[in-house]
Amino acid sequence: MHIQTPIDPIRFEVIRNALVEATEEMASALRRSAYSTNIKTRHDFSCAIFDSNLRTVAQSFSQPNHLGSLVETVPRAIESYGAENIHEGDGILVNMPYTGGVHLNDITLISPVYYGGAPVGFVASLAHHVDVGGGAPASIGAFREIFQEGIIIPPVKFVSRGEINRDVFDLVLAQVRAKRETAGDFRAQIASNNTGIRRISSLLDRMGLGTVERYIDELIEYTDRRTRSELAKLPKGVFCGEGNMDSDGYSDDPVGLKAKVTIDDAGMHFDFTGCDAQRPAPINSTYAQTHSGVAFVLKCLIDPDVPVNAGFYRNVRMIAPEGSVVNATAPFPVVGGWETQIRLTDVIFHALADAIPEQVPAGTEAMICHSGFGGDDPYRGEPYCFLETIAGGFGGRATSDGPDAVQPHGKNTANAPIEETELNYPVRITRYELVENSEGPGKYRGGLGLRRDYLFPKHAASFTILADRELWGPHGLFGGLPGQRAQYVLNPDSDGKELPSKTTVQLKEDDVISYRTCGGGGYGAPEERDPVDVLRDVRDGRVSAERARSVYLVALDTRTWQIDLAETARLRSVPARERESDQ
Amino acid sequence: MKDQYRLGVDIGGTFTDAILLNESTGEVETGKVPSTPSDPSIGFLNVVDRMLERSSVNPESVRYVVHGTTVATNAIIEGNLAMTAFITTDGFRDLLEIQTGIRPTLYDLQFEKLKPLVPRYLCFGVPERLDFRGDVLTPLDEEAVSRVAAELANQQIESVAVCLLHSYLNPVHEQRVGEILRDALPSALISLSSDVAPEFREYFRASTTVINATIRPVVARYLNSISERVRASGVDGELLVMQSNGGVLTFDAAMDRPVFMVESGPAAGVIAASNLGNSLGHENVISFDMGGTTAKAGLIEAGTPRVTKEYEVGGTATTTEHGSRGSGYPIRTPVIDLVEIGAGGGSIAWIDSGGILRVGPRSAGADPGPVCYGQGGTEPTITDANLVLGRISADYFLGGEIRLDAAAARAAILAKCAEPLGMNLEDVALGIVEIANNAMVGALRRVSVQRGYDPRDFVLVAFGGAGPVHANRLAAELEMPSVLIPMSPGTTSAMGLLVTDIKHEYSAAMIQRVDEVEPVAVSGRYQRMISEGKTALENEGVADADMRFDRLADMRYVGQSYELAIPLPDADLDAGTTATVLDRFHAEHERVYGFNAHDEPVEFVALRLSAVGRIPKPRIPEIAVRNRENCPTAKATRPVFFAENAGYVECDIYDRYALCSGDAIDGPAIVEEVDSTTVIHPGWRGVVDRYGNLFIGRS
Repeated sequence: MHIQTPIDPIRFEVIRNALVEATEEMASALRRSAYSTNIKTRHDFSCAIFDSNLRTVAQSFSQPNHLGSLVETVPRAIESYGAENIHEGDGILVNMPYTGGVHLNDITLISPVYYGGAPVGFVASLAHHVDVGGGAPASIGAFREIFQEGIIIPPVKFVSRGEINRDVFDLVLAQVRAKRETAGDFRAQIASNNTGIRRISSLLDRMGLGTVERYIDELIEYTDRRTRSELAKLPKGVFCGEGNMDSDGYSDDPVGLKAKVTIDDAGMHFDFTGCDAQRPAPINSTYAQTHSGVAFVLKCLIDPDVPVNAGFYRNVRMIAPEGSVVNATAPFPVVGGWETQIRLTDVIFHALADAIPEQVPAGTEAMICHSGFGGDDPYRGEPYCFLETIAGGFGGRATSDGPDAVQPHGKNTANAPIEETELNYPVRITRYELVENSEGPGKYRGGLGLRRDYLFPKHAASFTILADRELWGPHGLFGGLPGQRAQYVLNPDSDGKELPSKTTVQLKEDDVISYRTCGGGGYGAPEERDPVDVLRDVRDGRVSAERARSVYLVALDTRTWQIDLAETARLRSVPARERESDQ
Repeated sequence: MKDQYRLGVDIGGTFTDAILLNESTGEVETGKVPSTPSDPSIGFLNVVDRMLERSSVNPESVRYVVHGTTVATNAIIEGNLAMTAFITTDGFRDLLEIQTGIRPTLYDLQFEKLKPLVPRYLCFGVPERLDFRGDVLTPLDEEAVSRVAAELANQQIESVAVCLLHSYLNPVHEQRVGEILRDALPSALISLSSDVAPEFREYFRASTTVINATIRPVVARYLNSISERVRASGVDGELLVMQSNGGVLTFDAAMDRPVFMVESGPAAGVIAASNLGNSLGHENVISFDMGGTTAKAGLIEAGTPRVTKEYEVGGTATTTEHGSRGSGYPIRTPVIDLVEIGAGGGSIAWIDSGGILRVGPRSAGADPGPVCYGQGGTEPTITDANLVLGRISADYFLGGEIRLDAAAARAAILAKCAEPLGMNLEDVALGIVEIANNAMVGALRRVSVQRGYDPRDFVLVAFGGAGPVHANRLAAELEMPSVLIPMSPGTTSAMGLLVTDIKHEYSAAMIQRVDEVEPVAVSGRYQRMISEGKTALENEGVADADMRFDRLADMRYVGQSYELAIPLPDADLDAGTTATVLDRFHAEHERVYGFNAHDEPVEFVALRLSAVGRIPKPRIPEIAVRNRENCPTAKATRPVFFAENAGYVECDIYDRYALCSGDAIDGPAIVEEVDSTTVIHPGWRGVVDRYGNLFIGRS
């Protein structure tokens, strides 16, 4: 493992850390000065640095979903605008989905970094803006075409030589519902980019431009080397998987997803040929969104210590047929693209289950599970919008249960605290708890789903559910059973009407919407589960005693909290075929 | 009058350290005994007895005993916690299970969530509900509370945490729950979130309250046992314990609110640096404390350490360079803002799979320790690298108590790092030190630049056994003008125990726009908090003249979620003072985030009060002045490797105890004392002040 002589491994490490540190400082500036709960508390944003060749050099993460998207968005926006038209102090704003973008809410601000009067690279911050206009508050809904989804921003000069371009700013703000919040979030993105520029300049002051560029080249090669050597450890072969989204919001036709994963000497390759054609429904993922799902899978399979930059992205190779639900074209809606993309990661892991059974989990929540609402705030007398995503069960693993109520895979936003939400928005959260008995049973069970109920006092809100899993729960693996499906219920304590997973409803005053997300799938046969774990689950109220007996074949005394060993042995000794005929 | 004394006792994992201060002369003595983990109070008493006996001090002349302890943190990390129940609003029983929803590691498919400190079967919801203004929507169902209480009595619960939604605005339901529980469970300890941490955001308040509840019995037993033993030995001075915020609390107060002392240990170092800076006229100081496994950086602005309320304890993930959000139990009590990274003398150097040299975060710790200790360590560490470079002495480590094996250190670095990299020994040893320095520069940047401070405006105060070895290089990298190395850097932290003030923190939620707030309402809340603070200080025997009440308000632009703490004037608010406060807020926002929005409305979120009881600061004794016009003489020379010289230089080695006030030493040079070694780099010069402090600046 000899290093080419001219590279000093010590300086290398110094520069690499300084670059990552700069993106972390950008993230910290953005988070702390933003206005919307979605950014400041839920951390729905990412920041990155690019070199003058538009290669990703370093990236900060709170959302894995942004892993593969900025790398697509930024180069294509700069190429389209023309680097020669961008000057020191400028900022380019973009959210165009089909040319390297994602959904419209994710707006990226790109600023050039100048050093000694010459351009040396770019910094970019991507933030999920809660509202970008369109057909429903929070700009999510069962839309039929992109034009219903909100304002489309091709690369435009938002900041010009250090000054916000008033015309563009006003034009953008005129399209959105929560103007004050959105304006504050834009200012926070500018602060973030300025922080990045300052930090890169100080690194160049210390090290010199030539040196830093030289080491960035090496950093990218190093990352490529490490990524490839990690991928070489995986078993070779071709692995296929299928799955679907339960609905598209309009037809009863599930949305078919297919993944073929090839692992060979060249690394990993993903082919999504066979996924359904795009539809005029909120289920289409853009190329960049699909790319980010693949990047996430790849990152999970290699040493977490491998940095993320162009050397890593070079190894993210995929075919996503144009015009399919994994590579949408204009004017098909993309608002639900993340829903499709996150399910696709679940399908990929399913495909890899036989190849690397000790690494992949059983089916997880694998939906973003948006909850978006808005209306006229009766307390403040101004329009409001709110968006959050609801956690669900993680799949069981080869040696451990799936965690309860987590944001799996590409999403990792924090919960909006109830007190903060109620203080800032006219909504009351009336219930927030685990969904008992929702786990997919297994030797290692899936995690429990989550229930969250919203009540809207003193006004008629518009509420959008953009989610999935209302028909089938996440898959089990190796004898494990699927997790319980999700439910979306209107007024659970009175009429209790179940709603589809992709819809906008106009609520009456004091109406309640109740989300119950799915549990994760089980791993291994439930009758092999350690009775001690079953006892703990029952005592904790996660699993009922009846379910322990009928599904896990464990008999318990719930007064003394003892396992009835003899009865459990008897239950478990009955061959599976006879058990089924008993029922 | 007979001399009076102050005693500080700091219990660490391996040793229990004590420091005895003669209040009249300022003389300090230090002592060390092995810690006694099974009952730490034994080690405590051993060191107290030993100190008093050795210096022939009458136990009755000890006025204060101040204790820094990791007992609270250890209880959490080791899971040595009381059987605790959690009571909240019906429908929210799973607050502790659900947590923040985010994963501490993003790409780990085998991740685990933080294990709640209360099992689900001991979490209960009771019907009641307040709205976001604190108004009652659903009255408390007292019978439901009684049923829970009966259930808890059956289960022999020692401690109960209560956190109801919006109780930070209106504690009426929580207080009633507390009364019912106390009646039904007379021996249980009840912690109400509205008492412990009346701040909004339910999970964080609940977590703080639950931690308080789970460690309360353990901490109470611990402090009681120390108190009994110390009293039995004849010491009747006030017993105080260091809090995370750098102030001290009486043992009694600490037993009620032990969550305030979770970071008791590390806080002392920052307090020591702050006091040292203040006493020498340096009010802007960055403290840097480097020991065997970690390095800690803190920032002191205008004589006051920065305090934060965003803190997590007991994370399963090791401290990473970039922090690990969501990996520990959040606490929302004031904590001295520290950035801690896994870079200490024992941090291990290794080659990653891409062929790059890395240092830490894995540490050889004290056992087996660095290779050069000769106790079985085989992985090269930062200490080994410093030894190879000649920066520390093989013969004078801990004053010669341990002889270091330089040959073994060289062999390990050669075999494990230099050969695989195809580099020579010295370059790699230097690389190990530089990579560690780089990580520490990152920590210093995070505590300064990332918080909006320019390190060039600060003096670096370096201590801990390894701090002075690295400090000069760090200051150079950050362009800091000077480095201050106190005498006896290994005991600087413990000194912090003896120079702090008594401090009680109070807060009152007040979410209201500044331009709509009624000054009377603000004054009313402050009057209540001040009278509470005054009573507490009076009970602790603080004279009126030594009391101080500092007002702070948490403020933000309406719509933001992160608050800035802005000092308020001591007087009641009026139009003029309100304008001043707003100006301070805009200026602070500009400083921290690089912009402000003068047209945006600003709101208060909470009013805070620190009730401070001043403890007289010790006088530091002066050292001798060199009376002849000659320079200090080196006790020896040895080859020391410096990058600036691209090789070894025959370097002067000085005995710190032989230095006099006014002495100047030009780098490259090494200054040795029993518990540390100071490296002065080429181009820098160390100057000794009249107290023996070593100031290093550019020559």
